[in-house]
Amino acid sequence: MNKSMNIREKRFVAIAAAIALVFGLTPVANAMHIMEGYLPAGFCIAWGAICIPFLIAGYMSIRKTLKENPKTITLLAMAGAYVFVLSSLKIPSVTGSCSHMTGTGLGAILFGPTAVSILGIIVLIFQAILLAHGGLTTLGANTFSMAIAGPFVTYGIFVLCKKIKVNKHLGVFLAAAIGDLFTYCVTAFQLAMAYPSESGGVGVSVVKFLLVFAPTQLPLAIIEGILTVVIIIGLETYASSELAELGYLAGGVK
Amino acid sequence: MENSLAKWISFFRAGNKGEDQKTHRQEKHHHRIGHKHGEGSAIDFYAYASKIRHWNPTFKVIFSLITLLLVILLNNPLVSLVVIISMAYLTVIKGGLPLGAYISVLMIPITFIILGTIAIGIDFSSLPMGQFNLFIGFGYVFTSADKLQEMAFLMLKVFGAISAMIMMTLSTPSSEIIGVLRKAHVPKLIIELMNLIYRYIFILLDVFNNMRNSADSRQGYGDFKTSCYTFGSVASNMLVVSLKKANAYYTAMEARGYEGDLIFLEEEKKMAVSHLIIGAAFIIFLILLRIMTPWEG
Repeated sequence: MNKSMNIREKRFVAIAAAIALVFGLTPVANAMHIMEGYLPAGFCIAWGAICIPFLIAGYMSIRKTLKENPKTITLLAMAGAYVFVLSSLKIPSVTGSCSHMTGTGLGAILFGPTAVSILGIIVLIFQAILLAHGGLTTLGANTFSMAIAGPFVTYGIFVLCKKIKVNKHLGVFLAAAIGDLFTYCVTAFQLAMAYPSESGGVGVSVVKFLLVFAPTQLPLAIIEGILTVVIIIGLETYASSELAELGYLAGGVK
Repeated sequence: MENSLAKWISFFRAGNKGEDQKTHRQEKHHHRIGHKHGEGSAIDFYAYASKIRHWNPTFKVIFSLITLLLVILLNNPLVSLVVIISMAYLTVIKGGLPLGAYISVLMIPITFIILGTIAIGIDFSSLPMGQFNLFIGFGYVFTSADKLQEMAFLMLKVFGAISAMIMMTLSTPSSEIIGVLRKAHVPKLIIELMNLIYRYIFILLDVFNNMRNSADSRQGYGDFKTSCYTFGSVASNMLVVSLKKANAYYTAMEARGYEGDLIFLEEEKKMAVSHLIIGAAFIIFLILLRIMTPWEG
């Protein structure tokens, strides 16, 4: 009995971690949520359509997990709530400005990027409803940058670092920080597509958006990287059995 | 209902120390709001306290979505202005939300709006262009009266869209919004996850507040380095706690007969015919306004 509980617990933990990763990504990009009304209708629909395959894949994988083990539902929901709360917390900041973690990087490292898309879109909806961050018409664009692009890059870098035997904590730092930066670049690109520059088109416009948001996003990415490492160290200390089940210690792939 | 209200009030009183200093001036509203954090709970509180909460939630959600879409599709500064004013009227006068609280919710995304609008308004070039330009070493930053007008109209549009959305969120509790999504045939799995996540968010916020207060009382946020360490420890501990709770909640659900379906009680709220008529008239008015004004936003 005890043993079977442990196996279930481990599975739950793994799922929760995946969700947390996805969600974590979202909080990092808090300052970069594209606001309601910013994108013309065509772009809202286009970005939403791009997200659909990822969302369907995420939905299928969650449904399969739940069929095999119905108990996972509370775990998944907890992971979602965890990512939301993490993203709504003010993080330590040197300048006194108010910034938030995305948390998706962490979620992707712990759980893997596929299930994160569904949790990510739910978290984004709640961020719009409860926090007035982001919006309903820009949900597609925000989902793509924060719940899909960022987590996939974070996860890719994490696995790559593991393969080439970089120090694990350095790998976690790089994965979370670069994932954050990538989210920021994707958002700048999305804005630039909608508002191309008169003199140089989309290219110049991307540079403009990157420059304008760099002062807030660059320090944020580094802090997110550091905090993700601290969280991982904490989990290694207190929850190594759960992490092992998740597959994190073995190689991050479940 | 009363229970959740009381819970909210105590949650806010227990409050976040760190924010206390910054939001002290807003304390007179006694439910703090601001672009710090914890504001999510404030919006939730206002939704429950709103005087137009008894309006049919489906009507509110659809009306706010149509208004939101019209602001974006019609792309007209007059339409945006009318929407800003009428949504403020609905939320503040009809809904009974204090004006200061309404404005602070509207101001949450202000950083993004200012930075994003600046990036749209200015442009770079190696040659002096536009009506206003500034030489910055390797090239020119320039803008023009047209661009400035576009920036102003865009800000109006963004605020119109935001006020249409927060009219809904400030008058409709999340559980009712989820109920509307359920009626719109969003997959059951997603609806259940949303319902559970919504509930767990508040449980985790409680956990976080306790951990934060105890760390704070031990100088855990003394300087930047300690803060980072404390934040990381609290966050990792919170994940461990949430996993444990997830197991306990599943057991609790099973003990109450959970067999794969989560069913939540939803209040029936009648659709008022007068709301429908006024809502439709408002939407037609917005479209007519767009036709009458030759403006391109």
